[in-house]
Amino acid sequence: MKNLNFDSSRWVLLNNILVGAIALYGVANHNYKVNDLSVFQKMMIEVLAPLQRGTMSLKESLAYTIDHYVTIVNTSKENEKLRKKMVSLENQIFSLTEVKKENERLKQLLQFGKEIPREKVLAQIVSWDSSNEFKVLRINKGSVDGLKLMAPVITMTGLVGYVYRLSPNYADILTILDQNNRIDAIVARTRTHGIVEGHSGFKCRLKYVSRTEKLQVDDEIITAGLGEIYPKGIRVGRISKIDKENFGITQKIEITPSVNFHKLEEVVVLIENGQTKEVKLPQTSSSIDDVEGVK
Amino acid sequence: MRYSLKDIFLGVFKTAILLVFLEIFCSAILPAFGILEFKPAFNVLIILFLAFKLEAPFLPFLILFFQYIHSAFSVEGWASGTLAGVIIAMSVKYVKDMLNFSTAISTIVVVQIFQIAWFILIAFILSLKLGDFSNFFSIFIKYLPESFFLSLISHHFFKLLDNFWKVGKSSHGVRY
Repeated sequence: MKNLNFDSSRWVLLNNILVGAIALYGVANHNYKVNDLSVFQKMMIEVLAPLQRGTMSLKESLAYTIDHYVTIVNTSKENEKLRKKMVSLENQIFSLTEVKKENERLKQLLQFGKEIPREKVLAQIVSWDSSNEFKVLRINKGSVDGLKLMAPVITMTGLVGYVYRLSPNYADILTILDQNNRIDAIVARTRTHGIVEGHSGFKCRLKYVSRTEKLQVDDEIITAGLGEIYPKGIRVGRISKIDKENFGITQKIEITPSVNFHKLEEVVVLIENGQTKEVKLPQTSSSIDDVEGVK
Repeated sequence: MRYSLKDIFLGVFKTAILLVFLEIFCSAILPAFGILEFKPAFNVLIILFLAFKLEAPFLPFLILFFQYIHSAFSVEGWASGTLAGVIIAMSVKYVKDMLNFSTAISTIVVVQIFQIAWFILIAFILSLKLGDFSNFFSIFIKYLPESFFLSLISHHFFKLLDNFWKVGKSSHGVRY
């Protein structure tokens, strides 16, 4: 076996300086607003993301096994037969109910985007960012599906974020919970402008609102349509806390996002710019065939 | 004790597989069960292990390699972690004689101290990059709960990595 023997301190120093310099270059070039992936990074995501996606089906199988098999191990044979039959029927009902629920969700989701003059791509959540600092989620659609960098992402309940980085079959979405995502927003009732920014604990904050503005808890925040990313009128959240201190010229406003990120399963990506107009939020679901321009 | 190229390759390979599994665990399995706010940074623990136990001139490249794998799962990217890792590895070199990994308590304490140093560096780099130091403390604080968890498991985690890298009972690691 060939032994490696290059342990001089000069080598160590040289390598540290070299890698340190590469890292500094990387830090300087890293963009927290939008990120172009290198070919190698795209390749890694394409290879590794299916594994992340696979864990979702693994979870469903595991839940199914625990719910339907592990719990009947100690019952009698007759009971077992009956239960198996029941499990099979339950499974069918469960599958049909899930399909029905998914259908309803997707219909509502697609119906929501009807009034936004952009092409829509429906996508499923694959995973979340592995770092706690960044509130980013990965979806199962990428550049081959027509997605573009900085394309807005929504659900029927409101704004999710925008496409931050893209590989051919996957995209990372910088959510509104991330502090690097800033949204030009207005308070729907008073038309007061402010900037929504991600904060801690799955909350956002509305910044740069003058102390003199008379805002109330539960006021709805919508996108202002400025900044060329988000269409106007998409629901962002509601004011959950207002803190006016004795000093300063602005007020501290906490927002609870209208999207429940803990239960997020599907999203709609809006692509290709068109004329933007104020969006009306959906009241009822309708047929999937009514929706135009959906992929 | 010196090791062959094959040993190094096997160590890198096994550690990379472990890192990929742990990243999938944090990014897909935990969120699938509704746990969105607890994501331990296992890449930090792996890089700390390498810094503590490997005396190799190519250590900075290993740090770069493992951070690059991490970047496939996080928009944090590879650069800030690599920079922090290289600085930590250089610092460890000067205090190596004082470090002791023979007991679980000593490992937990040492790992916690260096994790805090790591997160201070990351919070500094992030704040510098964003041009806003008002969030420095909140960024740093966000990492703390997971860092306690990582410190608690570090003794057993290091034992596993000891096997991957064929590190003996010596607390001073292995020279390549």
